[in-house]
Amino acid sequence: MTIPQLTINQVQTVIPSATDIQEIDRGGQKIVFSGIIDGRKYALKFMAPNPSQVGGQNSEYLDDVTSRAQREVETMQQCSTPHLVNMGPIGLKTTDIADDPIIYFSEEFVEGENLCSSLQSKGVFSVSELVRLAFHMSEAIKAIWQFSKIHRDIKPGNIMRRRDSGDFVLLDMGLVFDLQDESLSVGLVGTPLYFSPEQMDFNNRRTIMNFRSDLFSLGIVMYEMATGKHPFIEGARTTWEVFGNISNATPRSPKKLRPELSEKLSDIIIRLLAKRPALRYRSIELFQRALREVENEGDVQ
Amino acid sequence: MSILAQCGYGRGEKIEQGLNDGVIHGVIMSPRDERKNRLEQAIHDWGGSHPNALVMFDPQFYAASLNNPRDGHLSEFGYYNNNNGLGRTHFSGTRIQGYVRECLDYQHQTFGSNASYLISPTILFDSFRDSWSQIALNMAVESADYHFSLNSPQPLLISLIISETAFQTMDAVEEFLDALTEIDTQGFYIILRRNSASLQNAMESAPFGRFMYFCHVLTTINEYDVIVGYSDWHSFLLKAAGVTHTATGWYQNLRQFSLARFQPSPGGRRPRKRYSSAPLLSCPLINPELQDIYLANHLALVLSGSNYDAILQNGPTAGEPNWTDEVSCIAHWYSLNALSQRLSALSTQSARIREAERLMQNALTLYAQLGSQNVYFDPTTGPDHIREWQVSLQEFRALAGL
Repeated sequence: MTIPQLTINQVQTVIPSATDIQEIDRGGQKIVFSGIIDGRKYALKFMAPNPSQVGGQNSEYLDDVTSRAQREVETMQQCSTPHLVNMGPIGLKTTDIADDPIIYFSEEFVEGENLCSSLQSKGVFSVSELVRLAFHMSEAIKAIWQFSKIHRDIKPGNIMRRRDSGDFVLLDMGLVFDLQDESLSVGLVGTPLYFSPEQMDFNNRRTIMNFRSDLFSLGIVMYEMATGKHPFIEGARTTWEVFGNISNATPRSPKKLRPELSEKLSDIIIRLLAKRPALRYRSIELFQRALREVENEGDVQ
Repeated sequence: MSILAQCGYGRGEKIEQGLNDGVIHGVIMSPRDERKNRLEQAIHDWGGSHPNALVMFDPQFYAASLNNPRDGHLSEFGYYNNNNGLGRTHFSGTRIQGYVRECLDYQHQTFGSNASYLISPTILFDSFRDSWSQIALNMAVESADYHFSLNSPQPLLISLIISETAFQTMDAVEEFLDALTEIDTQGFYIILRRNSASLQNAMESAPFGRFMYFCHVLTTINEYDVIVGYSDWHSFLLKAAGVTHTATGWYQNLRQFSLARFQPSPGGRRPRKRYSSAPLLSCPLINPELQDIYLANHLALVLSGSNYDAILQNGPTAGEPNWTDEVSCIAHWYSLNALSQRLSALSTQSARIREAERLMQNALTLYAQLGSQNVYFDPTTGPDHIREWQVSLQEFRALAGL
């Protein structure tokens, strides 16, 4: 799979209504531009269908890149919460650029900073920021799970903080896993550093994965934003060693690394990181109730 | 936590008395042991006379998969009689749907608001890895789905009946818990099937510790209601693990579950009378054990404190004729309830565990003190079971990280 090589001019040709087009990101399977349509800024995502799987125009089978894009668009259309990125005015479309097939769609352009940059530039979150992050991400996970789907790629780089409201938004539903549909993946997908233990159990994941897998990844994000450290990287030199830690190592209590955290909040983060789904939270409501208890403790300044 | 009456044959007036005395908080009815119309009437009556009591109906559907069970009045109940004699091949998805519907429909339509919960049908399994455990899980999921569609105001308890052998190892326990905690239900009604029909208080220590952990994950971690049926003195340990209620009855086979309950009875003489001693965490024989304690001037140390103690104050042997089955049963509920309330008064699980440890240590000290006064106990009385429980509690603490 390759990232399509596109110029701003080519994007302008494909979407003539867009102005002020700029390339903003490339990676994975896509290249992303920003552009103004009808006075609003949107992200314009372009992907190249997987040539080894394209069966011609009359094929009823879609390649994995197109299928994933379809699922991403469908998930954005289904879910309605301010904490998930919204669909833009252009739905999933296909075209040819320089004789190469291209698929593209638009989504809301979130003005703000992702958590990676935020951690680098501003350091760890305050308790109130952590609780807010947890609430907003739990709303996003809940919205996706309503449709028996799992995000599978919750990580600091996929969480934006809106510049205007300070709300957190979960981006990139390209790896959404649908328990009620066929799997689009034949191996491990996602960002390994943020995998849940069950996400690595490829043979069993359909039976054991649910929203609690996303809660685990959120636990890693919260740990990082609370302490500045990843809970499972210590002592690991390779990805496989990180996998080993995710499966077996008990992370140090966040409170030990940052004493001003409340015991309750620290316990919540550790509980999200439990190896077994049964030891996390069985519903988003229970998780949110625990967060409210932290708020009511008066810890949140 | 409070104690519920686990009903069996010969209910008499015990339930009414226990509810009025406040030593039980509810009742679990047994269709095997009671005529259908009488059982339905009782549930109806309690719904009116004791609106705050928990009134439950254990469908005992598991008997349908046993070999020639001695199923008593169960055959009067359509959800059972239409479906008994079930082998492994009789649990396709469609059939499970049928069993679940018949069973929940019966409870929903017959008991209405007089029952506190609807209880799902289940089957017994011996291992978390065998196909029966998967069938039990499928029945649980189907029950939750069907209950949702029923729109019943009565919440659902998923019932499970698990052999103690299933807890010999932790193998697959965690996976089963992962699946179980996906179910959206009010809680679980769990029966631990004992391997032996000898019905001793002593449990195999490590498996019981794992069972405590199983309950802890469901209650303390996942906040389900968990009611453990056929429980006895070990109720206080289950409370320490977080269990919501336990149920116990008047016969020994209503205090610990074994399949002997569904097999032909070998008969035999009436059991000797026993006294329920909360300080000893056991039931010493009134004669000679309690009498010997009395003669050693230590009776006050082992009494549980109920009004019925007065019957034995002037010599257990002298009072024995008045220590009727009904009195014995209510005094037993009183003792278990007293222990349970003591633990319930504590606000944290750590405090409850410490209290459970203290109760066991005190009991062992008391046994030793009485032993030094030449009071001898039958092995069925104790104190070996307490040492087993201490190991169980250690196992539980290690698993739960407490």
